[in-house]
Amino acid sequence: MRRVYVTGMGVVSPIGIGCEAFWRAQLEGRSGAARVTLFDTAGLDRDVACEVKGFRARDHLTAAEARHTGRCAAFALAAAREAVAQSGLPPARLASERTATVLGTTMGEANLLGELESAWIHRGEHAIVPAKIARYGTTLLPIHVARAFGALGPVQTLPAACAAGNYAIGFAADLIRAGRVDVALCGASEIIEKLQFAGFVRLGALAPERCQPFDVDRKGLLLGEGAAMFVLESEESVVRRGATPLAEVGGYGLACDAHHITRPHPEGEGSAIAMRRAIEASGIGPDEVDFVNAHGTATPANDVIEAHVVNEVFGGRRVPVSAIKSMTGHCMGAASAIEAVSCIQSLLHGVLPPTIHLERQDPACDIDVVAHAPRPHPCRVVLNNALAFGGYDAVLCLARPGVLPPTVGEG
Amino acid sequence: MRPLAITGAAAVSPFGVGREAFLAAMRDPQAARRRAFGTPTVLDPQRVPGARAAECWDFDARQWLGDKGLRNLDRLTRMMIVASRLALEDAGIKRNGAFVAHGPGRVGMCSSTAYGSLDAITELNLVAELEDPRYINPARFPNTVINAAAGYVSIWEDLRAPNVTIVDGNCGALDAVLSAETHLSHGRADAFVVGGAEVLSEPLYLAFRKLGVLPPEGEPERMWLGEGAAYAVVEPEAVARERGARVLARILGYGTAYEPPPSDALLVHTSPEAVRRAIVAALADAGVPHRRVDAVVSAENGLERHDAAVRAGIESALGRGPIVAAPKRLTGETFGASGAFGVAHALCWMYGAPVAPVADGGAPLLRRIDVVVVTAVGFYGNASAIVLARG
Repeated sequence: MRRVYVTGMGVVSPIGIGCEAFWRAQLEGRSGAARVTLFDTAGLDRDVACEVKGFRARDHLTAAEARHTGRCAAFALAAAREAVAQSGLPPARLASERTATVLGTTMGEANLLGELESAWIHRGEHAIVPAKIARYGTTLLPIHVARAFGALGPVQTLPAACAAGNYAIGFAADLIRAGRVDVALCGASEIIEKLQFAGFVRLGALAPERCQPFDVDRKGLLLGEGAAMFVLESEESVVRRGATPLAEVGGYGLACDAHHITRPHPEGEGSAIAMRRAIEASGIGPDEVDFVNAHGTATPANDVIEAHVVNEVFGGRRVPVSAIKSMTGHCMGAASAIEAVSCIQSLLHGVLPPTIHLERQDPACDIDVVAHAPRPHPCRVVLNNALAFGGYDAVLCLARPGVLPPTVGEG
Repeated sequence: MRPLAITGAAAVSPFGVGREAFLAAMRDPQAARRRAFGTPTVLDPQRVPGARAAECWDFDARQWLGDKGLRNLDRLTRMMIVASRLALEDAGIKRNGAFVAHGPGRVGMCSSTAYGSLDAITELNLVAELEDPRYINPARFPNTVINAAAGYVSIWEDLRAPNVTIVDGNCGALDAVLSAETHLSHGRADAFVVGGAEVLSEPLYLAFRKLGVLPPEGEPERMWLGEGAAYAVVEPEAVARERGARVLARILGYGTAYEPPPSDALLVHTSPEAVRRAIVAALADAGVPHRRVDAVVSAENGLERHDAAVRAGIESALGRGPIVAAPKRLTGETFGASGAFGVAHALCWMYGAPVAPVADGGAPLLRRIDVVVVTAVGFYGNASAIVLARG
């Protein structure tokens, strides 16, 4: 099996654009929550979300790219540019048949579809703009990224809902380990859109003001948006060009609850299987895991089950856990990609990000939550946990380079 | 790649439900074509007058799944559950709904769709726009999330190994093969239900009509929309042989490629070079020389420029040796499901149906077919191919 390294990463988040701003905001415990500005929330009974603020596509995209993309692909391209710049990969290495592009999302350019349908419903077929139709396809997300960097290998969209980031990073690493490609641009992107906001309202899942993971008074999630992208490289590629990797991609674990379309399994069965698989596939034992970046949505069901799974997998060892959704909101398809950036930052800086708004920890969530403020904590191995609609469970292991044994990635 | 065995297959198609119904229809391609196309019943004739498409006529999930629990499942999900269930039974993994091989934790799903949730999104958008967003039915909201349909299959069929949805436009169902092969090679499952599904819907029909690619009434040779679900059950060959499973065919190789458009101004384009590279890569992955290819499932769909690019790509990869057929003329363009229907056609050719419709306009050819290249070609410069061999 070939080792896979992260050599670059980029992020567009509700609490900062760019890795540095994102990390600073986490250390400050900043919340991205604010009144929704992207659409009218009148009558919806909820009006707070974690939007990306101050994003101007033309700061990151060429004029042609800005014409072809919607907000979702623009986030992805902006994050990809940062990741590629950080990796230091020469453009000619990226512009190759040996470069894959794998993107996750939940609904892609949902707002473009909303605009098309609104025009059609209220004004009729003649009001539909054909150019917008061609820009809607979810498959376009990796196409835009591949095109920007001349990547000619596999292009794939994995719409794995709120676990899409882990799916994309894990699968991209698989492609490198299998020797199909040497380099992969991967990650996930998502935007907040009105129909989806209204749907979460109707599911009773949205909190009114704050996202409070693991708090006894938690009232649900806040929607967020953004993107995170990574440059993954094979060990040979890293060694050949003398690059310094940021982290190693360990194994990942996937499972399906086959239980309920939106609710997690009551005992967290699939989630525990996925977490154990991620650990095993990394060639390590549970004792070697230093930190779990939680799914931590702050819905009543998720947090209790997640805490139960952490306790079960780690056998009572108090592994620190934190939920940055308290700051970023739930960026859905992009969430686990954005959280993977945070994981790598913890590996690099030896600091765990805080779970803010935790006032009274739910006794049913009896885990070591990194509450209120960042915690210095040297990390060698971290887990990024995600669950999703469809009963999806996906856990990704990330580690400091050189820590995982040579058997990494076999499962 | 290590060869995968196809041990079961099933489709929900305009010709009915199941593997046998599809094969029976393909034995007479001309009759199949007449049967497939008509005035769709799933589109409102007031709103889309003059529409013609290949609908899954009379598809009724209740015949296969019973009456309970279907209320909140959309047409796409129902087709996917029925086709998956029959494929698992066909593979001998399930009998009368119970696992008789492998087990729930060892069987997963890799499924493609390009526009799967579009119908569900439109349904809720109509409520939100014409009435009030507060009236959106929360039980229907999950259908707007594109992977929900595959999630429902896992719930109905109790498949607890990885569940993956792939959206790669027209290439998705072949890219689902890569996904399954990857997860199988890591030992994450013993078998996958692999394929894709797409449904006709008003927004989809309107979108393609608005793009000017659907033919006016009475013009048969341009693009027609189709729908359906097609799935194969794949297992590592050694696993399939060990459990004594019947092997319908083997997947020997996979290849894919992307080529950007020649100009910054373009977004939509079909790349002959991507088609060529995908085929060459699939043959190399399979270790099969191009002269062993008997037939090609061409991804031509009736769009003139698209078809010319697909043909050019196939020819530059394989020369003029193999028979090239464009079966989308029989089943319509099914986008995310099209690669899976391509596999279904290839299986039919191996099991007694003539190769048709031959792309040069010749008569259907009935002959022994051992090795088939199936192509899938996207509208944005991507293409994928797999190499299939008789079991």
